[in-house]
Amino acid sequence: MINRALLPAGGGENMLHCTDMTVLERQRARIKWQQEQQQQFQLQQQEISYFTELADVFHQAGVHEGGLSEVVTRSVKPDPGLVDNGWNNDHVVGYGVGLPYNNGLGFELNYGAISRTSSCPPEAVAAVAEATVKGSESVVSDMISSGAGRESSKKRKVDKAVAEEDTRDKRIKGCAEQGESKITEKNNNKNSRNNNTNKNSNSNKENSDETSKDNSKVSEVQKPDYIHVRARRGQATDSHSLAERVRREKISERMKYLQDLVPGCDKITGKAGMLDEIINYVQSLQRQVEFLSMKLAAANPRLDFNVDNLFAKEQAFPACSINFPTIGMSSDMTNPAYLQFNPAQQQLVACCGLDMGIDPPDMALKRTTSAPVSIPETFLDSSCFTQTHPPPTWDADLQNLYNVAFDQGRQTSFQTQPFTGSIEASNLKMEM
Amino acid sequence: MRDPSSLKQQFLKKWILGLQVCGSGKQNMSILERKEAIKLSADIALASARDGRTRWSRATIANASKHDDNKVLVQHLLAPESESLKKSSIGLVVRDNKRVRCKKILKWSCCVKRVRKSVSQVVLAKSIAKRMVNRKTRVLKSLVPGGEFMDDICLIEETLDYIESLRAQVDVMRTLAKATELVNGK
Repeated sequence: MINRALLPAGGGENMLHCTDMTVLERQRARIKWQQEQQQQFQLQQQEISYFTELADVFHQAGVHEGGLSEVVTRSVKPDPGLVDNGWNNDHVVGYGVGLPYNNGLGFELNYGAISRTSSCPPEAVAAVAEATVKGSESVVSDMISSGAGRESSKKRKVDKAVAEEDTRDKRIKGCAEQGESKITEKNNNKNSRNNNTNKNSNSNKENSDETSKDNSKVSEVQKPDYIHVRARRGQATDSHSLAERVRREKISERMKYLQDLVPGCDKITGKAGMLDEIINYVQSLQRQVEFLSMKLAAANPRLDFNVDNLFAKEQAFPACSINFPTIGMSSDMTNPAYLQFNPAQQQLVACCGLDMGIDPPDMALKRTTSAPVSIPETFLDSSCFTQTHPPPTWDADLQNLYNVAFDQGRQTSFQTQPFTGSIEASNLKMEM
Repeated sequence: MRDPSSLKQQFLKKWILGLQVCGSGKQNMSILERKEAIKLSADIALASARDGRTRWSRATIANASKHDDNKVLVQHLLAPESESLKKSSIGLVVRDNKRVRCKKILKWSCCVKRVRKSVSQVVLAKSIAKRMVNRKTRVLKSLVPGGEFMDDICLIEETLDYIESLRAQVDVMRTLAKATELVNGK
């Protein structure tokens, strides 16, 4: 089926719960979108032409099945004046990938909204575009300029190749791809994760029109509704085989995701072989955990990990940076851009940098004894940082790290005040 | 997929907490005891990072809580989320297991042994394949914590999540090990 073909295209990364566009889900989406078809098709055409004229400011994306209205309410208030901003076509379909980055936490919510299927009037879309513009102009321009050409061509090819509702999927993916691959994957994964949680609650009411219209809530309770499944042409129609077929499809779908997750599974096609690989992989991971815990036990006679010398860890980063396959840390991303996306992490890194800038040994000691819990964040964040640098020699990398962190520290020094306050608070908590 | 770096951060934070709890207890632990403590706190930290949303995490926590010595550790690690998480984990696991066990008993009681006539090659091959798959599924169920009580679909979902968490765990542990190595080596 066409949809299956789409999944690997977005894959190649760790997808935990991926887009659940199963037969059932797609049928539901199809019913809902029958009114929107024409509009979407139009927009799709526009979108394709937009790519050729990607300006710095706008992300182009199709209309998403998604409470873009919900997105709007969460973001900056709309400015309808944006619509006539020199674009040739009628509807400014601008939905920005930058939007999620404005609200770090809203990120999930936004994409959760996208995954719902509801109508999306052009005004709302324009409003979203405006919100995007207001929020993340410069960042977005960086992203676009870096990825635009590559992504647009990819997207065009994909869009032309598939049918209507499949384009919807791709547009969700594609518009995310405009920025960075990280965001794409995140989108897909978050999208699919939200789909999955929705799925659990909507689990078997996909095709009942009335209930599926209610997309506002995500409940974890499984409702024992009925599945409406259509028998395929030339196949048995009794309920047992239908149920069997649904079950088999679910299983094979999930096996596909496992295939992406487990390395070295692309060539294997059978269930038994796949299971074999999965078993081997899980066993090897478990064995690694055992081995590493033994190693740690041997290295620490007293189980005291408080001596988390910040600097020891910083030095370890260059060698260990490959150990953190943080999905989405694509090499396209520049540090400033990354910082802007994660204000919370930024603060932590800033503190780390500031420490190093001021008085390394004393500050390290002070920080290690007073706030062991805060260290992990800087530890992991700095490692993320060094990922963007090439890992030549230890000294060079350490130097880089100092420079980078020090720069960040200078930029955001004013933010350290509240943060140190929280460190003291957490320190007090821990000592209780 | 859930954000990997935040998962790692959470895991590391909780793990270090747990290690402090362990370390403050006994002194002069043997290397094996230390290893067990490290591994246990790592596992519980990993499971609690999932906030009881997945079955394998609940099963891990429930298993750990069974032993009295570990209860303290579990309590400390789950303290932010409160005792209710621990209780609900145990409760959910018990409930899931009961349900699945009842289903299985029903199935076995209804199953009738069929007489095998001479079958064609294709059917034979199919049955062999099926048996292989079943065997492997059983092995996988034994690997994933709490897996014996899941049906196929659930099992695969849980395996996905479990693999992802394990990967994060291995990454963090490996980096920590390297860091301590460096510190000691200096």
